[in-house]
Amino acid sequence: MTLLRSARLIDPASGRDELGDLKIRDGVIEAVGGSLISQGDEAVIDLEGAVLAPALIDLRCQVNPRSSGRSGLLATAQAAAAGGYGTLVIAPDAGLSSPESFAPIENAALSSPVNLIASGLLVDHDGEMGEIGLMLRAGAALLGDGGQPVSDTRLLKRALAYAATFEAWSSLRAEDPHLSRNTCAHEGDLSMRLGFAARPGAGERMAVDRATALAELTGARILLDRISTMDGLAALKMARSKGLEIAATVPVTHLIFNEVDTASYDARYRLEPPLRSEADRDSLIEALNNGQIDAIVSDHRACTGEAKAHPFPDAEPGAATLEAVLPALCTLVADERVELIEALRAVTSSPADLLGLPQGRLEIGAPADLVAFNPDVPNVYGRDGLSCDAPSAFENRRLVGKVLITFANGAIINQPAG
Amino acid sequence: MSRPGFAYDFPHSSLLSAGDLNPLDVSMIFERASLHFEANRRKEPRERTLDGLAVVNLFFENSTRTLASFEMAAKRLGADVINFSAGSASISKGESLADTALNLNAMNPDVMVVRHKAAGAAAYFAKVTGAAVVNGGDGSHEHPTQALLDAFTLTRHWGDIGGKRICIIGDILHSRVARSNISLLNLLNAEVRLCGPATLLPADADRWGVTVFHDLDEALEGCDAVMALRMQKERMSGGLIPSDREFAALYGLNHARLDVASPDCLVMHPGPMNRGVEIDGALADDPERAVIMEQAEAGVAIRMAILELITGRASNQRYVDDGTGDGA
Repeated sequence: MTLLRSARLIDPASGRDELGDLKIRDGVIEAVGGSLISQGDEAVIDLEGAVLAPALIDLRCQVNPRSSGRSGLLATAQAAAAGGYGTLVIAPDAGLSSPESFAPIENAALSSPVNLIASGLLVDHDGEMGEIGLMLRAGAALLGDGGQPVSDTRLLKRALAYAATFEAWSSLRAEDPHLSRNTCAHEGDLSMRLGFAARPGAGERMAVDRATALAELTGARILLDRISTMDGLAALKMARSKGLEIAATVPVTHLIFNEVDTASYDARYRLEPPLRSEADRDSLIEALNNGQIDAIVSDHRACTGEAKAHPFPDAEPGAATLEAVLPALCTLVADERVELIEALRAVTSSPADLLGLPQGRLEIGAPADLVAFNPDVPNVYGRDGLSCDAPSAFENRRLVGKVLITFANGAIINQPAG
Repeated sequence: MSRPGFAYDFPHSSLLSAGDLNPLDVSMIFERASLHFEANRRKEPRERTLDGLAVVNLFFENSTRTLASFEMAAKRLGADVINFSAGSASISKGESLADTALNLNAMNPDVMVVRHKAAGAAAYFAKVTGAAVVNGGDGSHEHPTQALLDAFTLTRHWGDIGGKRICIIGDILHSRVARSNISLLNLLNAEVRLCGPATLLPADADRWGVTVFHDLDEALEGCDAVMALRMQKERMSGGLIPSDREFAALYGLNHARLDVASPDCLVMHPGPMNRGVEIDGALADDPERAVIMEQAEAGVAIRMAILELITGRASNQRYVDDGTGDGA
């Protein structure tokens, strides 16, 4: 039992943004708002005006469930707790195509500080349909292509039609598999000068158009994975105008960085999708503001130093981001690019609603998955230590905003000293 | 109360599609098949009604039970039977279907039973030769004698199919059995349900006079009969389901799943069965539920009746309604 006092309660689900208290009992929110009276049996924490919001929910966290140690599930879950997350959907990229492949996630969930939810492959690495029905029965939150666009459209159509039978969301990487092959950069003047093999933004548009046609054909619910260009956004807008069940995510990195960061040839900025132009970044932020983006994903990936110790094009794409998402969003707020409640919506209630999860809201009876943070204090990423010190595009970046406490199911799962 | 009587002669000299039949045709076939069914069961010798006729079974696709069933039906009635099946000389020498058809027809057979992998093949055969053709299965299109024997089996149990609820489960997309059954059961006023994953159901199947389900438990609610279909892997290009075990878990028939069906629900399968996939072995062998062997038994009787009726040799070739409503 915990009473959280004097918090700035921000709840995107209800639109609440006001000072007040919140009480936790038996892992759920017992009371929220106004001045609450202590029963005497609970721990009282005075948040002194810090923000108290639902803990973050990530629709895409890359971790190989069979890895252990620094890149394993538990280490990742700890980094998530440190970053203010309460729920991670584990991406199926590492070959999650049968209910048995979820076993390591189920085991880790028993001791994980945050909620771990599996997702499954629509199509496995051998080009066969994954065991969609059995994986959904085993608790998969959604299905997906695991970041590898399926080039065989007939196979994709069948997998989507099959998934639609269960009304499940299918996450499709918004990229053309052929245009993007063996590229490391966004096609444009800069990448040409730098000598990078590059892919055009139009590839994203084609993928969104294809997904739209398949959604019409099969009735599938499609989550467009990691939109990163204005081309993709334009196609998304068209898709939405047809009244289809289409949703979209953006990677947090692409709201902060652009292709100019790659001009250093620094492998930390080697990402998938590649960093795009500043105009693309502006469009993504605008889309976030006008509700075109359903979720911001961390797309967290703990690459080893060795995997990054290569020339830019040869380095492994990916970045550790779980502890950067909240500060990155606070930085956009401080720069007056987005309202805090809107930024939080894309990492709390909106992904929760998409998956039908009860958490992600400050509501009586909802799981007490909460994050308290100070949105204004300067925070140089990594300076005060990190739970996950894998290579990150955010390294040494000047951000604002710091996590104070994270709760999952009413228990404190992270409280940095000082 | 009397009204003008009428006489009706069985009008078909070929059987290409279940959709060509009207309810009276079906009742004439069933009436004749009933006699044969009982006589076959008692192992009574039959009148040689097809004496002197030549029946050619031309099976371009492999078959065990359908070929044997047609052969037995024709022989029971005294016809001369010649079988050609996949792998036999002329078929495997690359001759075109039209040339095979014309050459065989030049030998003046009386009936040709054709099975082929291409939709429309039996009708094509009939068109090219002008001969009497029975469709023994054309690709994923039709298998009218199977539908007739299925409906006949149900009629034997129920008397009348009208108003009964029948669910067809599994690979309907590739199933000629399902297509023929849907049209025949609709003709006989049954309520037809289809159940399977979207990948195994034809697009827009809901326009076929059926109700489409993706959830087996919902589909089985109150069913009077269920028909499990085999996954026709030979007609699929690429996988349409993730695995056999997933199909068995979601769509496999077993005793427990039939709890929501009518207590007397009959279980059918056109064969060949994949035990443990679309149907649990114990259910397939349950004499209280399964009528699978009876289907095979009915197949011979139905084919005897059809061969007689299309060649004009049946004793009930003409239906006479004398106006009293009793029929004759």
